Amino acid sequence: MKRRTISHMHNEQVNVTPLIDVVMCLIIFFLLVGHIAKQVSAQNVKVPIAKNGNELEDRSGQVIINVVPQKGPTPDYQPPPEIIVFGKQVSIDELADELNDYKSNNPDLTLIIRADQSIQYKYISPILISCAKAGIDTVNFAIQNPSQ
Amino acid sequence: MAIIYSKRRSRKMPQPRNVIPNMTPMVDVVMVILIFFMLGSSFASPELFLTNHSPAIGSDLNPPTAAPMPAMTLQVKLERYGLHTTAIIGNGEFQTQDLSGALQDWLTQKRAILGDQVHIIVWPQSNVPWQDVITVYHNCIKAKYIHVAFKAEG
Repeated sequence: MKRRTISHMHNEQVNVTPLIDVVMCLIIFFLLVGHIAKQVSAQNVKVPIAKNGNELEDRSGQVIINVVPQKGPTPDYQPPPEIIVFGKQVSIDELADELNDYKSNNPDLTLIIRADQSIQYKYISPILISCAKAGIDTVNFAIQNPSQ
Repeated sequence: MAIIYSKRRSRKMPQPRNVIPNMTPMVDVVMVILIFFMLGSSFASPELFLTNHSPAIGSDLNPPTAAPMPAMTLQVKLERYGLHTTAIIGNGEFQTQDLSGALQDWLTQKRAILGDQVHIIVWPQSNVPWQDVITVYHNCIKAKYIHVAFKAEG
């Protein structure tokens, strides 16, 4: 009789297995999303500040170009920045080829340029030329609201 | 005989109890991680964008859109001297600190005179920082100009 009572008490514990399943799924989801977001957007890019910008609702099929500044030996000299597309560093020639490929695969391709605010225009200009040559007619410039 | 055997067995090898690992610490840690990720994602502020439909214009570039461009053009030249950027439009000159105020007022007044069909070409010098280029472009958008392009030479 005593043994039966003990085993009965053990069976009354709350089953936490479904809870752990769900919570683990959520954690894996957040980890993956964080990892992808880090790959897509370079964290060390300080985008320009402007008051009125639009939020992009549909961001599917967009190519994000990150233009990351590099530290030069002297403050006067600004070395060429890194151009990063989907986590991969590319040269300006490779970028032109890649944009042509993306455009041929997706005729409605739009572009997001996340360039650091300190980068000189001579380094942005070739990117804009590559976009124009690839026939990309919609380019979004990433900005930051001054209040953020 | 059999009863005696079972008594001996029960002394040496007690029946296995229903042992369940204590999940409470694990659930605690997992919940803390989950709350951390949820709060972290909600604090990340969304980026905003300025959209342009005719990004670059140059001597060796065809216009990206088939739509005809307005015949009237207004050129905004950006020059960098020291730490200051100057925007030059016709006879007007605007310093870096005026780019958000006086330049925008000028563009708004000009638009009221010229109307919608003006093609603005922003022509920055090679050493002008991207921030100033975007500030000028933002002013053009706020003044409700539709056709704004950047001069880019290959």
